[in-house]
Amino acid sequence: MKFLHTADWQLGKPFARFDPEVRAALTEARFDAIDAIGKAATENGAAHVLVAGDIFDTDGPSDRTIVQAVSRMQRQLCHWWLLPGNHDYARSGGLWDRVRAKGAPNITVVDQALPVEIESRTWLLPAPLVHRHNLDDPTTLFDTMATPNAALRIGLAHGSIRDFGSQGETTNQIAPDRARTSSLDYLALGDWHGTLRIDDRTWYSGTPEADRFQRDEPGQALCVDLEPGRPPQVIPVRTGKFQWMIRDWRVDDLASFVAESTQLLNAVEPSGTLLQLTLTGISALGDRIAILSSLDHDIAHQLRYLDVRADALVARPSDDDIAALAVEGMLGTAALKLNALVEEGGTNAATAKRALERLFVEVGRGETA
Amino acid sequence: MSLRLRHITLNNFRKFREPLTIQGLSDGLNIVIEANEAGKSTLLEALRAAFFVRYSTRNQLASSYAPHGENVAPEIEVGFELGHDAWTISKRFLRSPSIEVRGPTGRTQGDAAEELLQELLGFERDTSRTGDVAAYGALGLLWVAQTEALSVAAPGQIVRDDVRSTLEAEVGTIMGGEPYERVRSRIDAAYAKYWTATGRFGGRQSEAKERADAAEAKAREVQARLAALERSFSDLESSRTRLRLLDQELADTRDVEVRAELVRTLEIARAAAMLLSTRRAEHEAAAAIVRSREDLQARHQAAAKALIDAGAALEKAKAQRVDVVKDIRSRKLAVDSAREALTRARESRQQAREALTAGETLVAITHRAASVRAARQRHERLVGLEVLLANATCTSALLISPTAFAELEEIDRSLARAEAELAAGSTRIQLTGPTAGITIDGEPMSVGERTLMRETVIGLGGGSALIVKPPAASGSAEAEVARLKAKQESMFAELDVTSLDVARARNDAAREAAAEVRSLQTQIEAITQADAALGLATSADALKLFIAGLEETGEEDSDEPPDMAALRQAADAAETALARTEGVQESAIDGLRELEEQDRPLAAAEAAAESDLQNARGQLATIESRADFAGLDAALDGARKAAAEAAVNLEDAERNASAHDAPDIERRIKAIDARSSAAAETKRRLETDIARLEGTVESEGGKGLAEQAAFATEEFEAARKHLDRVTQEAETLKLLRETLEIARVEMSRTYVGPVARRARRYIERLLPGCDLSFSDDLALESVVRSGVAEGCMNLSRGTQEQLAVLTRLAFADMLLDQRRPVSLILDDPLAYADDTRLDIMIDIIAAAAERMQVILLTCRDRAFRHVGGRRIVLDGSR
Repeated sequence: MKFLHTADWQLGKPFARFDPEVRAALTEARFDAIDAIGKAATENGAAHVLVAGDIFDTDGPSDRTIVQAVSRMQRQLCHWWLLPGNHDYARSGGLWDRVRAKGAPNITVVDQALPVEIESRTWLLPAPLVHRHNLDDPTTLFDTMATPNAALRIGLAHGSIRDFGSQGETTNQIAPDRARTSSLDYLALGDWHGTLRIDDRTWYSGTPEADRFQRDEPGQALCVDLEPGRPPQVIPVRTGKFQWMIRDWRVDDLASFVAESTQLLNAVEPSGTLLQLTLTGISALGDRIAILSSLDHDIAHQLRYLDVRADALVARPSDDDIAALAVEGMLGTAALKLNALVEEGGTNAATAKRALERLFVEVGRGETA
Repeated sequence: MSLRLRHITLNNFRKFREPLTIQGLSDGLNIVIEANEAGKSTLLEALRAAFFVRYSTRNQLASSYAPHGENVAPEIEVGFELGHDAWTISKRFLRSPSIEVRGPTGRTQGDAAEELLQELLGFERDTSRTGDVAAYGALGLLWVAQTEALSVAAPGQIVRDDVRSTLEAEVGTIMGGEPYERVRSRIDAAYAKYWTATGRFGGRQSEAKERADAAEAKAREVQARLAALERSFSDLESSRTRLRLLDQELADTRDVEVRAELVRTLEIARAAAMLLSTRRAEHEAAAAIVRSREDLQARHQAAAKALIDAGAALEKAKAQRVDVVKDIRSRKLAVDSAREALTRARESRQQAREALTAGETLVAITHRAASVRAARQRHERLVGLEVLLANATCTSALLISPTAFAELEEIDRSLARAEAELAAGSTRIQLTGPTAGITIDGEPMSVGERTLMRETVIGLGGGSALIVKPPAASGSAEAEVARLKAKQESMFAELDVTSLDVARARNDAAREAAAEVRSLQTQIEAITQADAALGLATSADALKLFIAGLEETGEEDSDEPPDMAALRQAADAAETALARTEGVQESAIDGLRELEEQDRPLAAAEAAAESDLQNARGQLATIESRADFAGLDAALDGARKAAAEAAVNLEDAERNASAHDAPDIERRIKAIDARSSAAAETKRRLETDIARLEGTVESEGGKGLAEQAAFATEEFEAARKHLDRVTQEAETLKLLRETLEIARVEMSRTYVGPVARRARRYIERLLPGCDLSFSDDLALESVVRSGVAEGCMNLSRGTQEQLAVLTRLAFADMLLDQRRPVSLILDDPLAYADDTRLDIMIDIIAAAAERMQVILLTCRDRAFRHVGGRRIVLDGSR
């Protein structure tokens, strides 16, 4: 029996810190992920898609978000099993009532901790979250669920595995050996945004579309093939459009920067790439200006999004820099004064440093103009 | 290189309708003296026209050159030397305008001539309508018209450019002007996007701030709404929980059962209570019958006893009264006899009183007669005394008044004096011997002494006469004597006396008579005293009237008076007897009253006993006549038995009734009812709340508030970060702009240094110890004296004017260094200078004249009389 395991769609995530175009693209990509999952299901011959929580980013998504989600799922041939997670936890009168009200026949919201026989002798054991923060292990109920005549027992839950890394949340903790203790053939987990295998039968699918700078890989879903009596076969399927990359480059001159940037741009699909770049190093002021200029005027426009953190790229005007300016009379005087402020340190130093850079930029523009 | 003017000729220029030529201008200082309004300002105007105003222009300025109201062509010719070359300009304006410049290279005309001049003197074509001094270059600055002298003006661009090389030579290479301006303008433009002109937040900063504020407000608002929705969710949850609990409570039947039992018990309790009240009534009725019968019996017994008691009391009272009644009767007899005795005593007293009164009347009549007699005697004496009084009064009335008397005596004394004087002034003659034939004043003269007072002729017989002439004074004395005598006589006559002695005697008599009058009056008063017995008042008239009223009766005569003492004694005795009798009677009456007092209670007791007896008899009769009296005892027994039974029944009923407390049961039922209705009410309310909250949750939840809130929060965060970046950018630009400005100011200071240095040389002489501050366009901005900067506009007019001249000199020096054509013309300068300043200024100008040609146009001949140099007097009338 084959199904797709996915989670953490986080539909309706705001991305408000991005420019409107980027924001629209990121938002749209999350809906597109639904299409990609449905397509993957069809292609892999899977009739069911189990979504392990956090389908929506909030417990109160806008109507557009819900309609988009439902209509996209409705268009697919597979059946969608939606489990409320901590972001979209179940409560009376809450968002799941709104989803249900859309009346899509191929969508089932499993917001009750009751086993469902999704196919003959294949039982789904859901552990829906009914609060944002659940102190108890929601999968404990699996032990009490009767699944008469079950050939396959599939657990569906949302939360972090207890003692699961330092980044895991302290609430909604799930016992790491739940699959074994509850005799599950597979435990489909959500919450962790990267794909992660806990053991043969316990997996985090990760988000189908990355939503933050955390890991380079694009989002994916898991295609799971279950047969009684053998370990599941789990194959990741790429569903994500965007790559969110973090890079930390040490550049002491323009040349090393050019090398790094060329390499990166060759390796990625720039329009599908969001880059968070931290620059460190000590360079001449002119180099620093050239680097930032290249980032600002070239690379930023190639990529979908670029976030440069250049504070650690320490730039000092060389004596040549200053000398070049000094010839300029008043401009040289101004440069010396700003440089003195930078040397002096103190609260104004950072501003003075930027002012000095700006002065160089403007003088440079003047020369090229 | 000094520009040296040599001659100037004007024709048809402004007020100079006739040709005017000034010549003989020297290389150094020239003082052109002329009267006010003679046209010296016009002279400077003409020079400017010759050099700087295009010949072909018809602008406002050129039009003003023609003499007022005349349509002629103004003409100017100026001869000057530049270096070793001599030049002449001839210009004609308005009508057939023309220009000709003659110089070492020959003649040039028209526009070429204008261009030649521009090149030669370094100025630009002036395109203004009224003349732009800045366009005239160095000479525009150095040819100072009267109206411009006061302004410490900055040199125009041409001058600044001209002196630039000097400045650069002295300051070092000054570069960057152009790149600086480029950078500066870009930074200014960028700055303007973030800040307002006055350095407040503006443009992008405001936008970013507004965006952040709006995002924050939006986030807050959505968060608040979301929180409200969350509250609705939790309220809904808790309401549902409570409703569930309530439903469970309502499903519990215990209260219903308890209530049914209570209702049953209550019915029993109510029946027992009803029985109790019936029994109480029955018991009450039986007891009442017993009470009424016992009462009747008691009354009968009491009446019988009262009858006996009243009889006994009556007897006793009657017995007690017998003696008292007897005593009363005998005392009444005694009272009667005392009353008779009293009546008699009263009668005898009456008689005695009447006798006494008759006696007293008689005595009174006797007394009156005696008084009348005495009155008659007094009257007789009064009449006598009154006669005497009348006489004495008449005599006393003759008293001469003291003043009259004094006058009389004065006259007498005066007369004596006058007579003595007369005697002293007269001539006394004594005749002795025979007297025959001797006459005196015709009369025969007798022997004896005589006094002559006037001329007297004594006939001595025989025709001879002896004329005696007494001294003349005796005449007046005689007249005085006569006057006095006449007056005396008159007074005597008036006073009815014959001599002073008589008058004196009469006066004495009158005084005595007055004394007698007083004596007589006293006597009269004494005998006319009042007599009460006769009703006579104290006065003579009253006495006289009384006597006149008396009838001549014999009432004066009366009988012998009765024995009044005996009469009084008899009356007293009768009075005493009466008093005594009254005492006896009072005593008798008191005794009777006492007895009657004793009798009164006895009589009352007797009457009461009698009444009681009657009452008792009546009652007994009434009671015994009642139907139920017969067989009363038996009836009483029956009634008592019935009452005892009723009491027993009552006790049973009370026991039954107290077994159930009906009010308590009712209270408990009420409590159960209240609980149940409260539960129903709560249920209704909860259901309402739940419906409402469900509605809210449905409608608000559908708005996607959580998503909105997440978005708003993130957006706010982004806006804040954006604001930080913008602020940073703004601060950076601000600092950069400030730094650029500081650099520029510093550079300007260096740049203006050479000008300041030159100017200071002069100004130091005028204002020792002061420092100068120039703006970067080389205008003198302020003067710093002992550390205090004063803006040029705040200086006195004189100082301003002097500084204006001196800074111009400084520029002239610099231009001279540049080998620019330089000449200084000052139109009526230093008008505001005091003598000391004027001298210093003239010194400085004279020194400058050694380097360049200087022309002073002035109307103040005296002020410049001591100054050397060429003096040219302009005759305006020429």
